[in-house]
Amino acid sequence: MTNVEQAIGGPVVGRQGNYAGAVSRLVAFAADIGISWGLYSLGVAGVTLFTSLVSGHSFSIAKHRLLALVVVVVWEFIYFTYQWAVSGKTLGMAIFGIKVVSAEGAPIGFKAATIRTITLPISIFFFGIGLIGIIVQRERRAFHDLCAHTCVVYAWDARAARLRWLAKNDPATPAHGS
Amino acid sequence: MRAPSGATGAPDAARRRVMTPSVPRPDRLAQAIAEQVVKVVVDALDINALLARIDVSALLDRVDMNEVVAKIDIDELVARLDVDALISRVDVDALIGRVDVNHIIERVDVDQVVARVDVDQVVARVDVEAVVDRVNVDKLIASVDIDKLIEQTELGSIIARSTTGVAGEVLDVVRAQGVGLDDFVARWSARILRRKPGTLPLGPPLLVGRTKEPVAAIEASGGTT
Repeated sequence: MTNVEQAIGGPVVGRQGNYAGAVSRLVAFAADIGISWGLYSLGVAGVTLFTSLVSGHSFSIAKHRLLALVVVVVWEFIYFTYQWAVSGKTLGMAIFGIKVVSAEGAPIGFKAATIRTITLPISIFFFGIGLIGIIVQRERRAFHDLCAHTCVVYAWDARAARLRWLAKNDPATPAHGS
Repeated sequence: MRAPSGATGAPDAARRRVMTPSVPRPDRLAQAIAEQVVKVVVDALDINALLARIDVSALLDRVDMNEVVAKIDIDELVARLDVDALISRVDVDALIGRVDVNHIIERVDVDQVVARVDVDQVVARVDVEAVVDRVNVDKLIASVDIDKLIEQTELGSIIARSTTGVAGEVLDVVRAQGVGLDDFVARWSARILRRKPGTLPLGPPLLVGRTKEPVAAIEASGGTT
């Protein structure tokens, strides 16, 4: 059995709907921070370019720290709240195959998404004490999950992934592009 | 010389009627005697004793039943028969109770019966949709070993042509590695917290409590990844 088969097969199959673990969640969160920061940078660059083209003056938001902070906070709030409310997952969570649902397992709405976004910084501050619940709590819920009455589950269809892997390694399968 | 008979005929006949008394004729007498004798005999006869002495079996043996039956007009007999009334008097349950069905079935040549069946006609009368409606498709699919199916059929190549490329495969591996690391962390945390394996809930009740909900609920709320 190859490493890939070991990774995709076996215990991973059938985990859809189970509580997601700490590693997947933290890596997904890190990916979200990177993506949101990248989008913010692109947005700031676009606004700076547009302003300089329209007014002829160069404008840098870095020179206005308070404004930059407010924009960052608002952007992050929109980034997380909107995506959680609409699909239950951010871009980072989608990449790593996890999603936010209510404690019972139902999709969450704008209210829960908003509470979760507001309380997320509280979980991260104070040395991430609020995130310890992901490891020690029975349902792997962090502080912001408890506040918003949510939890995070695997939404990744590992069974389909295993089928794709099996199909690709079928001797009868022609190579891609052929 | 004798006188002609025509001259003396009428007085002779009259004389004969006067001389002969009214005596019954012999045949009538015999008839009357016979009737009296039969009456006396019948009165004196014990019919039951007589019938008891008759050997009915021997009598029937002397009867040619085929000849008797041949003279019967069966059609007319059946036409006069009230079949409904006849059947209503039959205790069908008692009749069936006396039948050894197993013995009858053992004597049936099933192959010969089946050979006479027009299977096409039978199939044409089957309501296939009604049959399919009664099939539990979910249970049927759950019993299929899909891994084995793909390994043994051309289904693999079909799936491969219709799914994602290298990026998707990398994503699958990364996710699977993430799940593996999650399990590693969960095992160690359970060991440190002295939790027994299998005592923690797997997931939210709506997603793991029932068989169908995980996929259905997740797809309904945004699709699978």
